Amino acid sequence: MASPEDVHRLRQLKESELLQEAWDHWTSTLKALENIKPLLSDPDPAMMSLAAEEAVELDQKLSTILKHTFPSLLVPPSTTANLSALVELKSGVGGTESSLFLETLLRMYMRFSQSHSWKASVVANNDNEGGGIKDAIVEIKGLGAYDTLRWESGVHRVQRVPATESGGRVHTSTVTVIVLPLIEEQDAQKEALYSMDDIRLEVMRARGAGGQHVNKTESAVRITHIPTGITVSMQDERSQHQNKRRAFQVLSARLMDRKITREIAERRATKNSLIKSADRSEKIRTYNYAQERVTDHRIGLSIMNLSSVIEGNALQDFTDALKQDFEETTMEDMLESEA
Amino acid sequence: MRLPFNELRWLKRAALDSNRSLESLIQRRLNHEPLQYIIGTQPFGALDNLRVRPPVLIPRPETENWVIRLAEYLCSSSPSRNISLLDLGTGSGCIPLLLCHLCPKVIATGVDISPHAVRLANENAELCGIPHSRFKAFLGDFVHPGFPKTEAINPPYDILTSNPPYITPDEYLQLSDDVAKFEDPTALIGGYDGLEFYRVITSLVARPGFLSHKAMVALEVGHSQADAVCDMLNPTGFRISVWTDPWGKKRTVIAQRQ
Repeated sequence: MASPEDVHRLRQLKESELLQEAWDHWTSTLKALENIKPLLSDPDPAMMSLAAEEAVELDQKLSTILKHTFPSLLVPPSTTANLSALVELKSGVGGTESSLFLETLLRMYMRFSQSHSWKASVVANNDNEGGGIKDAIVEIKGLGAYDTLRWESGVHRVQRVPATESGGRVHTSTVTVIVLPLIEEQDAQKEALYSMDDIRLEVMRARGAGGQHVNKTESAVRITHIPTGITVSMQDERSQHQNKRRAFQVLSARLMDRKITREIAERRATKNSLIKSADRSEKIRTYNYAQERVTDHRIGLSIMNLSSVIEGNALQDFTDALKQDFEETTMEDMLESEA
Repeated sequence: MRLPFNELRWLKRAALDSNRSLESLIQRRLNHEPLQYIIGTQPFGALDNLRVRPPVLIPRPETENWVIRLAEYLCSSSPSRNISLLDLGTGSGCIPLLLCHLCPKVIATGVDISPHAVRLANENAELCGIPHSRFKAFLGDFVHPGFPKTEAINPPYDILTSNPPYITPDEYLQLSDDVAKFEDPTALIGGYDGLEFYRVITSLVARPGFLSHKAMVALEVGHSQADAVCDMLNPTGFRISVWTDPWGKKRTVIAQRQ
């Protein structure tokens, strides 16, 4: 019979499995090296050289475990590993050119999601009159979507000759990306992110009598979370109920984002360390069309195949590198606080 | 007429989903045909794809709002036994179907004088996965004196809902083409003063044995009719209250047996 404590122990045991595995690997490799040592001074030269070769191999194995396996186990498991993501894109400087680039980025994230078997759907988008999209919100549902995409937050810069530019001059335009943690409706209630008493709900002003007298197709709503001043407007859905639900989904994601950011800040404050904070107004990446180059300024990584990035495939190289950078920074941070 | 961005987007999706040409859909919209008829559906609360078809009245956001509120009220009282509900002038069936969907204890009957509406309401029940045992719409004239004795009517009812026609003939002539040219006038015009159907409903409420001893009545009213309807219902001895819609209009008259 399993009691709740058993379940707790079971979970602990499961979580420590990786540690045990790494340790077993370390001790068995060490033992093999110990066993081989006497043979290094074997009178038979053939035997001796064989042993020497094996010793080098085992030595390399040990140092890999020491340098990579052990440190990676020190990174605490992500508390957000299960979360889906809500990606907000907003055009910045550059007018229509920025809106056109936003459309390209939107497609990039849609394709990237597809290749990860995440379910991506555009929940809001405002077309730009001159072409492209002024702003959009994409819901990306699937395990690890948030953890993978969270470092996409920031200002993305494009440098190219716009299709509309006759003089052949290179323009620089920007799009701001904000990746928020998306939680399910019932989890949002569990997290107690907001109280309904703190919500102000407004509907688009109706003209005239309403009811049977008119047939409105607009059912825009705006909700305001009074303590934080966060407002969310939603008008893309065809019923007020749906717009309301979407608006609350976005509000929950923004509040959850604040909560996670706050928790990280608190952890850092207690450790008294200095880590560069994720600033959303920071320029994080440049897409240079003339050079077919995409550069991530935070990690100094350039990929010389722009098409592959915006097709969604090579974006993986950035998200992998950013994840590794994050883990390394976390470890440095831990070491610093120890010292 | 200038088509709002959102409408164009919804029409694009509808054209794509139904393999129709966007141009023809836009042309229909420019002829003032309601967007909901062109697309063929209208989300209503948690019912994402309620079917709509001319000339049956298209569910309005005001109705969606009070029906959700009523469902919250019914669910919060967590009844142990079934709740029987009668919806007068059921149209697309939106009111009883959403209540059935949100409150598992509700068993509903819908009545309408239009065969189009009755057919549509029954279709919608099937689309929403509400079985025959929980919802049935049938053809009937609730104004007729013999209505309470109709075979399909099984009093007493615990809940009486209705969004009866409430527009006056004068107002009707002022309506925009979106409404007047396409929706059934029978579902819109409420007699010479717009209040005709509330008189009939009041007499049903007052009729002994028609409503149960803890009955509740929810009636949608026009923007300026709440007070008149409250006055009508007052002599029944029910406790009367009025719900305001999100746009600030007194929209729903609620009557509960004390």
